[in-house]
Amino acid sequence: MLSLTHVTKVFGSVIGVNDVTVDLGSGAHGLLGPNGAGKTTLLGLITGQLRPTMGQIRVFGERPFGNPRVLQRIGFCPAADILERRATPREWVRYLVRLSGFGPRAAAERADRELDRVGLGEAMDRPLSTLSKGMRQRAKLAGAMAHGPDLLVLDEPFDGLDPVARHDLVGLVQRWAVDSDTGTSGPRTLIVASHLLHEVEALHAGLAVILGGRLVASGTAEEIRDMVDAMPTEIRIRCDAPRRLAEAVCDTTSAESMRFEGDDLLVVATRQPRALAERIGRAAVEDRLAVREVSAADQSLEGIFGRLVRLHRGVGS
Amino acid sequence: MNAPGSRPSDRSRWPGEIGAALAVASFQLGRMVSRQRLLLAGLGVIFPAAVMLAVRRTAALGLDRDLAVAMIYALVPEAVCMLGLLVTMCPAVADELERGTWIHLAVRPGGRRALLVGTYLAAVIWTSTVAILAAALAVFVAGVSKPVPLVGMLGALVLLSSVGRAALFALPAVILPKRALVASVGVALVVEYLAGFIPAVVNQATVSLRLRSLLVSWMSWRRQLPIEIQLLIDPQPAWVQISAIFALAAVLLVVAVKILEYRQFPPSTEI
Repeated sequence: MLSLTHVTKVFGSVIGVNDVTVDLGSGAHGLLGPNGAGKTTLLGLITGQLRPTMGQIRVFGERPFGNPRVLQRIGFCPAADILERRATPREWVRYLVRLSGFGPRAAAERADRELDRVGLGEAMDRPLSTLSKGMRQRAKLAGAMAHGPDLLVLDEPFDGLDPVARHDLVGLVQRWAVDSDTGTSGPRTLIVASHLLHEVEALHAGLAVILGGRLVASGTAEEIRDMVDAMPTEIRIRCDAPRRLAEAVCDTTSAESMRFEGDDLLVVATRQPRALAERIGRAAVEDRLAVREVSAADQSLEGIFGRLVRLHRGVGS
Repeated sequence: MNAPGSRPSDRSRWPGEIGAALAVASFQLGRMVSRQRLLLAGLGVIFPAAVMLAVRRTAALGLDRDLAVAMIYALVPEAVCMLGLLVTMCPAVADELERGTWIHLAVRPGGRRALLVGTYLAAVIWTSTVAILAAALAVFVAGVSKPVPLVGMLGALVLLSSVGRAALFALPAVILPKRALVASVGVALVVEYLAGFIPAVVNQATVSLRLRSLLVSWMSWRRQLPIEIQLLIDPQPAWVQISAIFALAAVLLVVAVKILEYRQFPPSTEI
């Protein structure tokens, strides 16, 4: 479906994307990274707005830049707000569908149907300037989906939305990914770029983490967790006698470093948190230690992202 | 799910591309119907007539027809068309970049081409409409004899001026989108009003030579003109002049489309 091989994009002296190699099949994929990481540049390359300086991109087996066969099958919802304020959502989406090669009647039908689907049926004749950001975001989504793409690329689609609008749009995108009545002819691929991990987590997407233009990790959430598990994890143990506990666990190979914080906290860095947890349990029983709390570093995607970023920066290895 | 083939196929690409260009033209014309643009258009319509009225009042023995035609030609197919196209054609790409709509168009098949061709059509339609109204009002105010054929001739010159010069301004619009207006003024001065008045091969590729030659031909002025002025006129028949303008416009437009199709506008948030 989508293949990038050693893709690099340079703007003058600035590297937008640096030697990215990744293959994405059908299904949902999340592209994660902080602001300025190179997500938008990568999406620009995938959606045929930009040419790679080096490397090769294939979307549906073909080069996307200036290729109408590929562009016909791509729907793109950019991060930037639409400043086309006088047009109504109906006019805007019809316009975009016509640019995809549909006649006026087909464009009108598709635009109206898609605007209904995204929940803008009531507001499709109001000027975009009078709509809330959430509604304009829906109009952008409708514009990206109305021509029936096989690959839907969304750049920060939930940015700046209130929780209710965010929840609605996540549901909408999820439905697109599984719905068979969206006018496409084959398996669909969804790519969502975000700097907020919980947004991508909610889509149950495969992950690719980008930082400084480099792809620092990719795979399923589990695969990335396994990768992260190979990195030292800090375990915080709160007990009545942390020094005795330290003596009990320091004989194991699982503990890489230790430090004390205050009178009751022991922090242990380990690459084998399960083994360490078992050792703590045994020590608590055998040495009659009152262990009140054992907590690991954040294992949510937020935590994983933060640790991958630290790993990439050479911190904590 | 859609029936197979419901997506426009390659076979329907050309009609699809023409439809896309027409969609852009229609959308751009809708944008042009704003208070500010209508005010500018109104000024464009009134200004030549106001000049002709002022000249007519100062001319004690009435305004000579040939002089009136020459003045209206300078005011309308030259000045009004030029200004109208500067406003409508130059921001073809810059406007889309500023509005954040460029990305939406660039990811459509043939979107870049449709944007330029559609904006070109809109600019020609808008400018020609304004300029033809301006010419008609100016001819009426000048009080010349046989006004209807005169308006017809000036209308044809307006159309040809718009067709040729909109294509000329398409180049700065795609090469220097953020400085397109300044670049286009420079192009107009250097190409149309400097090179166009050099009696050499270089002026053959200018719209101004063709328009002047058509005016002289259609007004049957050639024999009256001093020999020095005749050097600034191409003696070939009208169909040659008209064909040359269309050929020039086609070449310029194709080059502009190719440049735009090759251009990349990096996401400013990333770099």
